[in-house]
Amino acid sequence: MITRLAERHRGLLALGSREAHRVLKLWTQPVVAPILSSLLFILVFGLSLGSRIHHVDGVPYDTFIVPGLITMAMIQATYANNSASVFQARFDRYLNDVLAAPMRSWEINLALSIGGVVRATLIGGGLLLCVLPIVDVPIREPGVLLPALALGLALFSSFGVIVGIYANSWDHTAFVTNIVILPLTFLGGVFYSVDVLPSPWHELSHLNPIFYLLNAVRYGFLGTSDVSVALSLAVTAALAAAVVAWSAWLFRTGHRLKP
Amino acid sequence: MFRPPALALRGLTKRYDNGFLALDGLDLEVPDGAFFGLLGPNGAGKTTLISAVCNLIRVSAGEVRVFGHDHDTLDARRLVGLAEQDVNLDRFLDVEETLRYHGGYYGMDRGRARRRAKEMIDVFDLRAKANVRAPMLSGGMRRRLLLARALMHEPRLVILDEPTAGVAFELRMELWAYIRRLHASGTTILLTTHYLEEAEELCEEIALIRGGRLIARDSAEGLRSAYDADSLADVYVKAMAS
Repeated sequence: MITRLAERHRGLLALGSREAHRVLKLWTQPVVAPILSSLLFILVFGLSLGSRIHHVDGVPYDTFIVPGLITMAMIQATYANNSASVFQARFDRYLNDVLAAPMRSWEINLALSIGGVVRATLIGGGLLLCVLPIVDVPIREPGVLLPALALGLALFSSFGVIVGIYANSWDHTAFVTNIVILPLTFLGGVFYSVDVLPSPWHELSHLNPIFYLLNAVRYGFLGTSDVSVALSLAVTAALAAAVVAWSAWLFRTGHRLKP
Repeated sequence: MFRPPALALRGLTKRYDNGFLALDGLDLEVPDGAFFGLLGPNGAGKTTLISAVCNLIRVSAGEVRVFGHDHDTLDARRLVGLAEQDVNLDRFLDVEETLRYHGGYYGMDRGRARRRAKEMIDVFDLRAKANVRAPMLSGGMRRRLLLARALMHEPRLVILDEPTAGVAFELRMELWAYIRRLHASGTTILLTTHYLEEAEELCEEIALIRGGRLIARDSAEGLRSAYDADSLADVYVKAMAS
């Protein structure tokens, strides 16, 4: 059964392994660097400020920030990887070799998303392994953590592919990171609980889509959240579905990919 | 037994988003096993035609069939190999990886792709550069790799878009020899070139296109006779001026 499935989708497997191969070939920059920078956040904010803040939602501050930092590193990595890979393939026009090949549009779409997922998983896993000796981080609700991470990766890997398709220069891909993803992640409550914010910032935080993803992941790790977990998963799932559908439409119609 | 043509275009039209009409209801049939040349000035529609066949553009109207299959079906795509005019190699892959991954995209299993990649590396004399990434190759080596990649999955129709543009004389002769052998083995070749002597030397039939329309089609001899010209260059000048 699996062998027959693999035979039917050899193109998908080849392109997916090419994307993973690209990440593993350049592993120091895309994998090690984000782990180190997230560790620095934990050391600087968690261990230094942690002695002053003590607890947030009943959790030590250095523990409280770890799920948010893991989420931030993973979504930034999956977005950055896929936007860069797709834009480079368009820019150098080797994407044509893929578009001309006997692959279904969804296979190309899915395969191009795989690199970001591999990179984010390596970063998330690596960061957790590095953090565990320093900070005691439990995984209280794996049944929430895994779907939350899967939905977050689906959302941002497809978003990266979309930006890679629309971008006209490298600046465009970096612009989205700096102007959209990074501020929304910080403001989504990586370093604090939005419950401590005064009105209207508390209410405005609920308009931030990353707030829901962060809270779902935090609940998976710590069993605590600023908002209902069901709502967090539902909002993240709805956004992921919309973005995946947009990406699928681009590949199905050839819009922006084929003149 | 009926053998469908390698390529059949009916009323092929392509208007780009900026309004430019690159192909204007073009009809063309390339028989199975032919060595077919496509000549025309820049902007005539040659590359647009090729891009339409290879699903790299969205066709505005008309029909494209490859060996009887709709051009956008998986069956049709498997039968076509394309070496584009511009060198478009994956910058992250070395020579062998470029070929192996391409084989995978076209449904070859790993073992077959590895064996075929080795064969192509030997045929195109790329052995010494097998583990060198594409951006580190010389212009001639990149051109060889581009051709090797197009042939990797053993397509029945090979489309070569100006394969010898900017290539040294020695390499051009080598590529000619290889393309001739390929054709002799039964592969249909569609060649675009700006070198008229190349078209005359290699092609059994030549089509002249201008402004997205087919203006003439015959053997080199037939075209010379039809245009009362001494050479293909004269034919070209007269055809494009008419």
